[in-house]
Amino acid sequence: MNPATGEHRLVIEHLTKKYGDRAVVNDLSFSVEPGRVTGFLGPNGSGKSTTMKILLDLAAADHGTATIGGSRYRELPEPANTVGVMLEPNAFHPGRSGRNHLRIVAQASGYPMARVDDALTLVDLGGEPARRRVGTYSLGMKQRLSLAAALLGDPAVLVLDEPANGLDPQGIHDLRDLLRSRAARGHTVLVSSHLLNEVQHLVDDVVVINQGRLVTTGTIDDLTDSRAVVRTPDPTALGIELARTGADIKPSGPDTLVVAGLRLDQIGDAAHAAGIALHELSADAGLLEDVFLALTAPTTTVEETQS
Amino acid sequence: MTWTNLLRSEIRKLTTTRMPLAFVAVLVVLAATNGVAVAVGTDMDGSKSFIATGADQQSLMAFAANALMITGLFGAIAAAREYAHSTVIATYLASPRRPRALGAQLAAVGLGGAILGLLGAALTVGAVAASLPLTDYGFMVTAGGVAQVLAASAWAGACGAVLGAGIGTVVRNTGGAVTGAVLVLLILPPLIVQLANGTAAWVPSALANVASGITNDTSVASAGAAMALWALVPALIALRVVRRRDIV
Repeated sequence: MNPATGEHRLVIEHLTKKYGDRAVVNDLSFSVEPGRVTGFLGPNGSGKSTTMKILLDLAAADHGTATIGGSRYRELPEPANTVGVMLEPNAFHPGRSGRNHLRIVAQASGYPMARVDDALTLVDLGGEPARRRVGTYSLGMKQRLSLAAALLGDPAVLVLDEPANGLDPQGIHDLRDLLRSRAARGHTVLVSSHLLNEVQHLVDDVVVINQGRLVTTGTIDDLTDSRAVVRTPDPTALGIELARTGADIKPSGPDTLVVAGLRLDQIGDAAHAAGIALHELSADAGLLEDVFLALTAPTTTVEETQS
Repeated sequence: MTWTNLLRSEIRKLTTTRMPLAFVAVLVVLAATNGVAVAVGTDMDGSKSFIATGADQQSLMAFAANALMITGLFGAIAAAREYAHSTVIATYLASPRRPRALGAQLAAVGLGGAILGLLGAALTVGAVAASLPLTDYGFMVTAGGVAQVLAASAWAGACGAVLGAGIGTVVRNTGGAVTGAVLVLLILPPLIVQLANGTAAWVPSALANVASGITNDTSVASAGAAMALWALVPALIALRVVRRRDIV
């Protein structure tokens, strides 16, 4: 697979899905590039899982298309070999062992049975845990079993819904390494989450949706650079200066401002041009979650973000 | 992936939980009950005329009607739990052509139902045969009669399981699917008989009795075909329903 050709690019175009009168996904468009780990972010109920299910032909769109390398999932020559999927955290029969669950998936998809133990080992579920009934698993173990199922076919595309949910720090670290290595091989990786801080170290790009609509897309750096902490002996003058550019400025202490809507270099240049000294100018990583919450506030969509 | 792979996967689903064992336990209890009835039971007049002839004994051994009901529940639970546990997601990801996947499941469940039906009949025949020496009567059912009882029960088991799986797929809720199977196999037939003249011979239990050779309201072949039709109707509805249904 050659990522440069975008062979397994995921493209969502004007997707709409309604349940009754309620639009769960509303004219949603974005793309996911090969060779990148893309975070698909939004609060609970924002339409992430529905979008993923439409992409995987588990749900039908009312309007628009969702394609993988230009084809619908069901039109892929070997869909299960192409796309590894992790959707529901509890999509197991509780009375079945982890190994038997994977054997069933492997058999249905035509994978060699030897892949089952390889995948279990990869997610650290080999040996005794694999023989245990899934009903006895912790949430983290179930997540790892789901991940093992997604990796059975060594797919070129990974679609993972809330994969970090329930994982301990080591598990998240392992997940990050895994996703990074997949992306480095040119694979396409889409990871959903309702918590930005949960995936901020996992992803390169982000797609943020809210109420079924696109809020913003871009690199994770774009998003985290969207707020800056500025410490200056003259916050009033700097605030007035930056406000002229349309930036959103909030005081955060006697000599500190939190600035949204300007890059760090733009803030520095504006301060320099106005002859205002700066004692600190930094990306506001500590407020990353606040950025996400602001972006996904109940009425925020891409139109408001752009305006 | 091939259809054979899907079928093997579905068979593995059935054999990797304890559900089939629970149904086997039910079959053992029913067979044991029959054995005890033969050993110690009597008619109202205190005689054992209910085992006095080969036809009486074959009637006692006939398990097909029970097989229909039991495997109807088996199929309903097997199909509905796929939705209850969301394991259907993995199935439809492996085979986005859903009727193909459901066809494999119906075949696997049908095979499981046939085995349960055959086992139920075999256990019942064995229990009756084992109990008869405790009475004044010998085993009087011909080899052909035993074969017919076993075959009828296996066929009824397959049909019942497919019927139940069809209902389970449409309903998707385990409790609802079990209720649906009971409605179709136990509640609906008497209503049909009351509402439509001449249908008494075509309800599932009557067909099972014909297939087992204990009544002759219609031919055995017709009874077998009619049982299959009872199973095919919900199965075909299920095959149609799954095509565009959202998996939520």
